Amino acid sequence: MSADPALSPRRSLQSRVATLVFVAALLVFPAVYHNPFALHMMSLVAINAMVALGLQLLFGFSGQLSIGQAAFYGIGAYTSGLLTTKLGVPFPAALLASGVVASVASLLMVPVTRLSGVYLAVSTIGFSILVHLVLMNEEWLTGGTFGLIGIPRVSLFGYTLRNPAYSYFLCVGCALAVYAALVRLERSRFGRAINAIRQNEDAARSSGLAVTYLKSQCFVIAAFIAGLAGSLYAHQVRYLAPDDFTFWKSIEFLFMVVIGGVGSLFGAVLGAAFVVLLPEWLREIGDYRMLVFGALIVTAMLFGTRGLAGVLAATGRALGALMRRAAASG
Amino acid sequence: MDQAYFLDLLVGGLAIGCVYSLVALGFAMIIRATGIIHFAQGEVLMVGSMSGLSTLWLLPRLPAVAVMLIAMLASGIVSVAMEFFVYRTLRVRRIPIMNVITATVGMSILFINAARIIWGSEPLRYPDLFGTLAYTFAGVRISPQLVWIMVMGLVLMGILQLFLKYTRTGLAMQAVAQDPDAAQMMGANLTRMMVYTFGVAGIMAGAAGVMVGSLFFSFFQMGFIIGLKGFIAATLGGLGSLAGAMLGGILFGLIETFAAVFVSSAYKDGIGMVLLIFILLASPSGLVGLWKRRR
Amino acid sequence: MADALLEGRGLTRRFGGLVAVDAVDLVVKEGTVHGLIGPNGAGKTTLLNLVAAFFPASAGTLRFRGEDITRHGPAQRARQGIRRTFQNLKLFAEMTALQNASVGLHASNAAGVFDAIVGTRRHRREERAIANASHAALEFVGLGQYSDVVAGALAYGHRRLLEIARAIVARPTLLLLDEPAAGLNATEATNLSALIHRIRMQGTTIVLVEHHMDVVMSVCDTITVLNYGHKLAEGTPSGIQENPEVIEAYLGHAREPAHAGA
Repeated sequence: MSADPALSPRRSLQSRVATLVFVAALLVFPAVYHNPFALHMMSLVAINAMVALGLQLLFGFSGQLSIGQAAFYGIGAYTSGLLTTKLGVPFPAALLASGVVASVASLLMVPVTRLSGVYLAVSTIGFSILVHLVLMNEEWLTGGTFGLIGIPRVSLFGYTLRNPAYSYFLCVGCALAVYAALVRLERSRFGRAINAIRQNEDAARSSGLAVTYLKSQCFVIAAFIAGLAGSLYAHQVRYLAPDDFTFWKSIEFLFMVVIGGVGSLFGAVLGAAFVVLLPEWLREIGDYRMLVFGALIVTAMLFGTRGLAGVLAATGRALGALMRRAAASG
Repeated sequence: MDQAYFLDLLVGGLAIGCVYSLVALGFAMIIRATGIIHFAQGEVLMVGSMSGLSTLWLLPRLPAVAVMLIAMLASGIVSVAMEFFVYRTLRVRRIPIMNVITATVGMSILFINAARIIWGSEPLRYPDLFGTLAYTFAGVRISPQLVWIMVMGLVLMGILQLFLKYTRTGLAMQAVAQDPDAAQMMGANLTRMMVYTFGVAGIMAGAAGVMVGSLFFSFFQMGFIIGLKGFIAATLGGLGSLAGAMLGGILFGLIETFAAVFVSSAYKDGIGMVLLIFILLASPSGLVGLWKRRR
Repeated sequence: MADALLEGRGLTRRFGGLVAVDAVDLVVKEGTVHGLIGPNGAGKTTLLNLVAAFFPASAGTLRFRGEDITRHGPAQRARQGIRRTFQNLKLFAEMTALQNASVGLHASNAAGVFDAIVGTRRHRREERAIANASHAALEFVGLGQYSDVVAGALAYGHRRLLEIARAIVARPTLLLLDEPAAGLNATEATNLSALIHRIRMQGTTIVLVEHHMDVVMSVCDTITVLNYGHKLAEGTPSGIQENPEVIEAYLGHAREPAHAGA
């Protein structure tokens, strides 16, 4: 057979082209839609997509259902907000610090990675609630329910990013970097290991994998990414309130992953776009939009699809088959 | 701490504990029968609470027990409807468990927002259901509400136990929960048992909803945190154990009430979370599991 | 005289009130193929699971290469060179055969998360080595042409072979095979015997739990017979076959026909 055995499936030409087209579209977007609101929304999509990607690693790859990512997102946001407003720390350092603080906080979850399924999920819910309580009650630190105001815009090397297109590029750039990193991870020994753990933990252990350690690593990585996203969020909206980071936000992140397609990195991005943008499109129906949102969720689940990514893939395959047939009869 | 205060806290803790027990029982029963965590159980409680309130608005002089029964009926129906429209479809189509859990969360969102549209977003006061004269016990004055809640809670739990142990339907429900295949072979109708299970869980939640409404107030998001605490209580007792659910609820109510005083009332909700995490780390099968292992 | 690679003394496992394995001594000599047989429920797989630390022993000690490993968990034992297969096949169903095999090499490599993301030379070097070694293991068991097939899509017999490939890819010192012939037809069983022989020729010591008597008798040097959790007899294949107690234990089951699976 092949002289060079392939541990990871080779990416097809179509896939590479599609990626290129997608990235190009992202880069060109601000030129076409210079409306600041649209750019702001897309920045939010990118920010949320980052957290969703981290959750995909945690849930889709290693199989750990965490409904507490909003906690790390919030920790990152407040860390960055506080460092820049109270201590005048420059943005790049604040960004990094957000990731680090969030991942240190996630170490509290390490003992919990021993638990499985439901119990793990409930523990993460508890953690999310605890963090929210701290954000709400410790006014001296976080401003409590009054929130944290006056967070400065992103400032890189002395240049403040006033143009919304620049913060768009920053957010999209970070999201793309996270995406690329996770693609690499997925195709590595680490990626195979955590997938193995998800598919059969006993067999993984018997093959010598340090299961708890690997699972914890996933938590830390996902938290780090969520922390980074939180920092970007803080400087994007420039005002933080504890109610931005409740359990319901964690649920939103989970939705993004499930709707986009569990196990698909691109799906997490699609899911983020769906969850962030849909309520905006539904805004016309006002009070009823969350209702419709909930109903859509239920209906989507009833059909048990492999998420938006699955639908996209199926469409792609169908199109490909059509084109081949057309070319053959051509 | 003086005796009166202590007794106050004790009664308060027991009362809220009874509420948690009822919710926990619902979780436990559904998990035993279907393996799913019925995230929307809290919303069922909320529906019961709101229905009771609306009933009182329509018929202000209706006695407490009647209000309860109506609320229980409403929540029972809602719970069964959930089973019929959502869970049954999920089971029949063999949808993966993650999608099921997401669907139940979606249902929660649906119900919470529907409630907000129907009843508004302000907390709503329950009119006094149980009279205002305080009972006196051992020289201490206790609110009649708390006593009534405890009594009704315990009565309901007692009836449930009797139902499960001594009626054919109850036994069939238990059989289905333990081993659906064997139960079916013995003639139990699986679908009907599912309906009953959800129905009973809904009834319990509805009663709890009225209790909470009269203790505190009703509002559209009340189901979430109470549902979560009921779930914690069920986990404390070991998910899937009915006795554990009841004990867990009462225990959790007591711990929460006393800890709020001794630790911090702002973090009252957090106490439950911390407790939960510690219990799970010590023994994933809850306190009942720990106890069983010691024997 | 071969040394004792594995020494289990007084190994016991209780499940509630049931004693599945009762104070069994097991000594496995280096370089041998050691069979574990007995009627259903005798405790063979349980004993194997104790050696693999699938669950902890209720009592007893275990020494491997002279070192006390009683407290070591399954992952640690795997890293020390004890690998196993499962009776009920625990493959990674969504991964290809090659990827399945490669998981066995996880613990022998060092490139971490950072290396993977950045794409360091160490990472690329290790990935190539893993790919080659995994493919070699697949070829060794006869699955070379299936390396890109998803494990869930493989035929049953091939899945059993894949399970073995994953267990041997890291050249374990001790290989524990749990009913590898279960459900195999006569040809496949013969091939399995040959494979076990080839593995032994590479220097791996093997403990084999098996019902399929043709396989057992043809590859084993020593056989331990268990019954109701006790050691009933131990000896060479011919000795065991003539042992009256062993025959009586199997009485009513007769000699297992060639197609008997688990």
